[in-house]
Amino acid sequence: MKYVDEFRDAELGRALAGEILSLVEPGRHYKVMEVCGGHTHSIYKYGVDDLLPANVELVHGPGCPVCVIPMGRVDDGIALAHNEGVIFTCFGDMMRVPGSNGSLLDAKADGADIRMVYSPLDALRIAKQNPEREVVFFAIGFETTAPSTALTLKRARAEGVQNFSCVCSHVTIVPPLRALLESPDLRLDGFIGPGHVSTIVGARPFEFIPADYGKPVAIAGFEPLDILQAILMVLRQLAEGRCEVENQYKRVVPYEGNLRALEVMAEVFELRPHFEWRGLGFISHSGLKISDAYAELDAERRFSVPGVRVADPKACQCGEVLKGVIKPWECKVFGTACTPERPIGTCMVSSEGACAAYYNYGRFAREREVV
Amino acid sequence: MSEAAASAPVCGDQHCITCGDDGDPMTVVRVDAERGLALCTDESGARSTVETALVEPVGPGDRLLVHAGTAIARLVKEEPE
Repeated sequence: MKYVDEFRDAELGRALAGEILSLVEPGRHYKVMEVCGGHTHSIYKYGVDDLLPANVELVHGPGCPVCVIPMGRVDDGIALAHNEGVIFTCFGDMMRVPGSNGSLLDAKADGADIRMVYSPLDALRIAKQNPEREVVFFAIGFETTAPSTALTLKRARAEGVQNFSCVCSHVTIVPPLRALLESPDLRLDGFIGPGHVSTIVGARPFEFIPADYGKPVAIAGFEPLDILQAILMVLRQLAEGRCEVENQYKRVVPYEGNLRALEVMAEVFELRPHFEWRGLGFISHSGLKISDAYAELDAERRFSVPGVRVADPKACQCGEVLKGVIKPWECKVFGTACTPERPIGTCMVSSEGACAAYYNYGRFAREREVV
Repeated sequence: MSEAAASAPVCGDQHCITCGDDGDPMTVVRVDAERGLALCTDESGARSTVETALVEPVGPGDRLLVHAGTAIARLVKEEPE
């Protein structure tokens, strides 16, 4: 497959692994966080970590958009979906995220009209096909997905679609990274930066990591060679005493990002003063809401939503997993009470969640020996 | 959790294309410039309508990276080092 096969070549992979091995100092333990859940998924799908020296540890970051949605937001969605005449639309993974009293899928089983869509554009199409119903789209995701929602809201207005609105739970990547870097219980040596978020925001927003915290960053693609190369870049910076933002994924990530996407996001959204992240708590200026200029398309203003904060289940340790403090299999309910079929925590729901990646690729319990 | 939840669609081998940080390489087949949309095909031949506002202008044969129904970048050929 063009643009894909080249980045899965086993020989090149082994060569990169050899270079990585030659760079690490025996006796030093390296902790590199892959920020994005897509990277976590690829690492375990392709066994990238098996090619690494035992003293290079990959720590899984908070970049799975489903995993960071708090239970209260799910409850808001379910309450909205139960409104008379509403067709509630959302992405597939979101339907399985547990709220305080079941998931959207449970609500669907209870009679709510909840439909899975692949894009906000699909949700708008449903609205146009059902002019007598109110169609609500539950928007989640980082900066990769937010432009898609913004363009759809602009299109809804331009086409005069009156029965479409959106619950905006979009989040931004930089504030949680800063929160993690400020966290006293986490020591990291470097970061693999998120590839497709950077397609939108560019490399510039990550420059605070080397500038303020002295840690190297390599923005990476999602194929196994992309990830190995990014790990090599981070380790090389550490070996040479450098720290900067390097871009391994130049084939789609321009330094300045996608300016049209940033413009449309600035027009349609504004920052929330605070947004709650599952396991990480409230983080300032980390969530997006629909701006006043597009108020009529904001489902939170069109309908009443409970907006109640709900504590995570006590047994669930998604917070520690999202912060990289524990490995998924160290959670008490991992693989027993909490499985992808019956998740307790969000990290087990999405295929990009660290727990689901470990579970689906057979990493039930394993401590790698440290050199 | 109910039986309905237990039988929910699960993303298998591939990422969940809907909500992750995922991007699909697609090729433009036909362009509706007036509406800012393009009919695109993925590697398996499946066709879908894609929003092209972020990467315009596009033409048939262009390769795009598509996320949640929106083209977020043009694909530029690059070999791994």
